[in-house]
Amino acid sequence: MSDILEPKSIVNKANENIELVEFDEFINNINKYETLGVGVIIKPSDDIMLLKDSLYFIELVILDFNNFDDGRGYSQAYFLSKRWGFKGEIIGINAHLDQLQFMLRSGVTSYELLEDYKGFNEEDYSNGFSICYQAAANNSGLREKY
Amino acid sequence: MYQYSPEDSEFLVERVDQFEKQLNRHLSGDLDEAKFRSLRLRNGLYMELHAHMLRVAIPYGTLNSIQLRALADVADKYDRGFGHFTTRQNIQFNWIELPEIANLLRELSSVGLHAIQTSGKATRNITADPLSGLTEGEIEDARPYCELIRRWFNLHPEFSWLPGKFKIAINGAKLDETALKIHDLGLRLVRSDEGEIGFSVFVGGGLGAAAMVGAETASFIPVEDILSYLESVMRIYNLKGRRDHQKRLRIKFLVRELGAVEFSRLVYEDWLQTKDDPELKLNLIELEGLKKDFELPIKPLPQAKFIDKVDFNYSIWKKNNVRSHKISGYSIVNVSLTKLGAAPGDASSEQMRILADLADKYSETELRTTKRQTIVFPHVRKDQVFDLWQSLEKYELASPHQGTLAQIVACPGGDYCDLAKAVSIPIATRVQKRFDDMNKLLDIGDLNINISGCENSCAHHHVADIGLLGMQKNGEEYYQITIAGETLHETIIGKKLGPSVSGENVVDAVEEIVNVYLDNREEEERFTDVFKRIGINPYKEKVYE
Ligand code: SF4
Repeated sequence: MSDILEPKSIVNKANENIELVEFDEFINNINKYETLGVGVIIKPSDDIMLLKDSLYFIELVILDFNNFDDGRGYSQAYFLSKRWGFKGEIIGINAHLDQLQFMLRSGVTSYELLEDYKGFNEEDYSNGFSICYQAAANNSGLREKY
Repeated sequence: MYQYSPEDSEFLVERVDQFEKQLNRHLSGDLDEAKFRSLRLRNGLYMELHAHMLRVAIPYGTLNSIQLRALADVADKYDRGFGHFTTRQNIQFNWIELPEIANLLRELSSVGLHAIQTSGKATRNITADPLSGLTEGEIEDARPYCELIRRWFNLHPEFSWLPGKFKIAINGAKLDETALKIHDLGLRLVRSDEGEIGFSVFVGGGLGAAAMVGAETASFIPVEDILSYLESVMRIYNLKGRRDHQKRLRIKFLVRELGAVEFSRLVYEDWLQTKDDPELKLNLIELEGLKKDFELPIKPLPQAKFIDKVDFNYSIWKKNNVRSHKISGYSIVNVSLTKLGAAPGDASSEQMRILADLADKYSETELRTTKRQTIVFPHVRKDQVFDLWQSLEKYELASPHQGTLAQIVACPGGDYCDLAKAVSIPIATRVQKRFDDMNKLLDIGDLNINISGCENSCAHHHVADIGLLGMQKNGEEYYQITIAGETLHETIIGKKLGPSVSGENVVDAVEEIVNVYLDNREEEERFTDVFKRIGINPYKEKVYE
């Protein structure tokens, strides 16, 4: 994976013993990880559909939002969270301030911003609206109008 | 007439507040140009040849007089006194200063106008037939559906960062004024054999270098299931659309690469998983409420006989610019903004205020905008049409060009747009000068000439009777000619006539094409029908002989 942050740095204390593997490694060796309880690191180009049947032994998923204009991560988060009801953490890494509202509403449960955004008020972007016009994985705090 | 609720207005203000913060971060060097570009486009803001351009949405082309006056104020305060009505029911301001943008948007939000998603890789302003609700034979007025779908995809968390822009049009009328099959997604309101209302869905239409007619992916989606179906289309596009090639970003390339059958299958399979999700059902109570809000503000008038005035100029104008209304006693009046030498669709702030005043007096405060860049007064009492015409005459707005060849659609082209390969407006002016005899124009009848300054095809030249596309050849401006495109009765991409023609010769070529049409026309035959009958060769022979 190219310019991805060191994922271990962002995993909660509670998760720090979870082994993190990249998507291809995981898919090619599913049997190996079945008993471990594992975290999977997913790039936008990875086919999220291949994870569906393995979710019951995946502890957490890491999605990479580094490419500002690449919106595939939002659909990946949607599948995990809303479509499949994945209960583990969905972590957005390389996150952009201006996209927090989209990430969180698509189902990302925690995130780490890229360095450039340190010092800005995250609330302005994670929580800048009082109303939303569509169903989503997470509309908490929003008045729903649809 | 439908108006935004207080919470909708609050949303618009919150959107401006957030954009202002992004703008300030950019101006202070904390947000780089590439990211700011992506964000500003989602707020309708472009960097053009000379200044910033702002594109403001006119949802489904419906405006009230208060909104039009607010647009006139913006033109005066933030632009150089002009606005430009586009072919997709937006209005553009070409001379906007970056630091003033938030105040401008706040002013517009106070009258329910905004620039949200008028550009960028997200769902754009949803267009409808400008005569929605006004004509006989309509399945239904498309605007309540436009509004519900527009809302649903407004800052949609999953679909705001698509591979490319995503344009939707919805039509409920017999004739397709929206050109829905050349949109990324077109919805046609249909009634099933059982009388149920639903949509036929067409995906992957588009113009540009690879012009395509949208493929039907579903022949009937019930109204309440349309949101889940649209989400499935966008999900497949979001995940599988090309992001690696700047010229292959639009959904039409995905549909072409997968094939329409496979694309439709993928959408259908995804949709099966969500169609019964109650959260994704279109809110039928809200829909009924919106239908009431969009009800026409007029009732049939008693059929009192009135004698219309006799005036030669009035009768010519009336023939071209006035249509019958489904409500008895009323007419629909179309106002052409076309002026020699000016960009088609350009309106001065003064003209906007005049039109707003006239809408108050003659059209129940309402106006519509069209893809031919004209302004419609939708509800004019028949016995007041003459008075309206007189007022329009007084302000030089009674051009009788609507529905004639002189009502040319041209993009801003080389005069304003930094993507242009050639000029558009000066060519339109030269064509108008060549055809300045009203008798000849009336004889020719409704013949569309559309001129785009580059392959982006903003003037929809592929679907005009005569389309001109500007290009460069050895440093000189040339025009590729396409003929016999259309969208009204059926959707046909025009055929390329042959090698491109120099700027110097292009008006002669247009005249030759019109002459071939006139020489071969039988009775009231339309341009495309003559073309179907005689083929391309007679046109080629005349233009290239
Ligand atoms: S067609 Fe090309 S030149 Fe004309 S407005 Fe569009 S981008 Fe600009």
